[in-house]
Amino acid sequence: MAAISPFFLLFLIPIVPLSILAILALIVRPRPIKIPIKSRHVFITGGSSGIGLALAHRAAAEGARVSILARSAGKLEEAKKEIQLATGVEVATFSADVRDYDAVSKAIDESGPIDVLIVNQGVFTAKELVKHSPEDVKFTIDVNLVGSFNVIKAALPAMKARKDRGPASISLVSSQAGQVGVYGYAAYSASKFGLQGLAQALQQEVIADDIHVTLIFPPDTNTPGFEEEQKSRPEVTAIIAASSGSMETEEVARKAMDGIKAGKFTVSCNFEGFLLSLATTGMSPQRSFWLAFLEVITAGPIRLIALFFQWDWYKAIEKWSKTKTK
Amino acid sequence: MAAISSVFLFFILFLVSLLIILAFIVRPRSVKIPIKSRHVFITGGSSGIGLALAHRAVSEGAKVSILARSTENLAEAKRSIQLATGVEVATFSADVRDYDAVSKAVDESGPIDVLIVNQGVFIGKELEKQSPEEVKFMIDVNLVGSFNVIKAALPAMKAREGRGPASISLVSSQAGQAGIYGYTAYSASKFGLQGLAQALQQEVISDDIHVTLLFPPDTDTPGFEEELKKRPELTSIIAASSGSMKTNEVAKICFDGIKAGKFTVTCHFIGFLLSIASTGMSPQGSFWLALIEVMFGGLIRLASLVFQWQWYKTIEKWSQKNK
Repeated sequence: MAAISPFFLLFLIPIVPLSILAILALIVRPRPIKIPIKSRHVFITGGSSGIGLALAHRAAAEGARVSILARSAGKLEEAKKEIQLATGVEVATFSADVRDYDAVSKAIDESGPIDVLIVNQGVFTAKELVKHSPEDVKFTIDVNLVGSFNVIKAALPAMKARKDRGPASISLVSSQAGQVGVYGYAAYSASKFGLQGLAQALQQEVIADDIHVTLIFPPDTNTPGFEEEQKSRPEVTAIIAASSGSMETEEVARKAMDGIKAGKFTVSCNFEGFLLSLATTGMSPQRSFWLAFLEVITAGPIRLIALFFQWDWYKAIEKWSKTKTK
Repeated sequence: MAAISSVFLFFILFLVSLLIILAFIVRPRSVKIPIKSRHVFITGGSSGIGLALAHRAVSEGAKVSILARSTENLAEAKRSIQLATGVEVATFSADVRDYDAVSKAVDESGPIDVLIVNQGVFIGKELEKQSPEEVKFMIDVNLVGSFNVIKAALPAMKAREGRGPASISLVSSQAGQAGIYGYTAYSASKFGLQGLAQALQQEVISDDIHVTLLFPPDTDTPGFEEELKKRPELTSIIAASSGSMKTNEVAKICFDGIKAGKFTVTCHFIGFLLSIASTGMSPQGSFWLALIEVMFGGLIRLASLVFQWQWYKTIEKWSQKNK
């Protein structure tokens, strides 16, 4: 009798994970989907520089009809020339400030029904909240969050009305600062965390129209915007952000585009980003039962790792503030 | 038998080691926030959860200030508190979207020990049906407004000498932990508070200021009654997963959480599970709660996937019916 128990236990060990996997395969919603790019209309905001421009290059290279929106007509022209030189494709350009709903609406109507909307515009200044002006805080939230609402609202009716044009996609470029709030990024993190709430709710509202929402979480990326930001970011911010490292713009755009095409809800760009996504999955939907399985079995250990990072960060903050008060 | 008892022993040893590690590493350490004789400042304090919190603060011996837009509502709130407790609260009329007005009110009220950022507006509607102005209104009041209040109060809070630990509490919502149908703008504004709180805590910990996020479920306030009449059917179906609570109950639990110096405060059992599911990169000051997060994180993720399955099936069924 005693010999049976350990064998029975051994048999039990694979049964539990296999059952979880089977349950997940049955229940994950929304179901996986692929988003085609070739010959479809891709509309990118903040598309004249940085990640947006790199995404426009990729979309053009993959045979999409591309439109880019930004504020500066000059930069739009330059971007258009650059893409033409590199790919031979002519992109449509639209000049508007995302905070202006009517201007955005006009641009989107002119561009025609959109299949793949990439909401990518973003501004960021790293500064302690006490040093940040109220105007700057409002600017960050207005452009990054309210602006995203304006773009999506303007594009939605035509996206919903498209018939037999296949699955549509609304992608939002967030940031790792939209997964964890970091010293110096109160306003920026707030605006990017907001995109998560928007995306989760929006997916529930548009799934019946075959529209699929994607959130992209780049780390520090070597864009012109980032170079500017680095000059003035607080020391503590730099120390904490170093936990994740930085990436090249083209690499981020490649990962982002692959994620959009794979119809994922959450797209991360490097390994640390992947771990961070597991830690912060929260109430995000998960369309892949394999990733869902990974989330379930790693949730505990990853929370432990997250707590270690917090320990590290708070010790660094304590040490740094002691040197400042001396 | 021996195999099973050694597995059991190993498991207990594992738990104890984990607990010891967590006790060592959890940051920032939890701090008790005293209320008696301290200055509590509550925005959106003339009605709903804010008013109930004001009542509680007064009954615990605090000097209370409430801020809201309508001078009438403020006067009525002041009367109701005086009637119930005999104490006179200070009232300030300002719109949180107006930084200068808020700053003036906060300066007049004097240095704050316990700031409760509670103002909030909510309109449940599909994004398609919502006007851009409504979206902007919710984000301006709930998120930008919160920044204005905190920015206005911070300098004096940091400059207080020897007055003990200070607290900045933000009233969020379960819609700030899970985005649901009909709440794109409201969820966005409340999720934003999480980003604000996590970053802010890192910035103000060395000034002995402690950040708290409060997550009430649907609460039967006057604001909620209004909203119930108009919100989409699907929103109500999904929100029913969590049920609703009475205002005084919510205020009591929230206030206890603020006094305990917790980063995350939930109001009932489902809310507690939701907090574990959505803990993400929130700091955790209690090593017991940290242990629960680590031990049950996986199981709770599984439970939230089951909820998503139910929600999406409901959405599918409902939209087929309504096509």
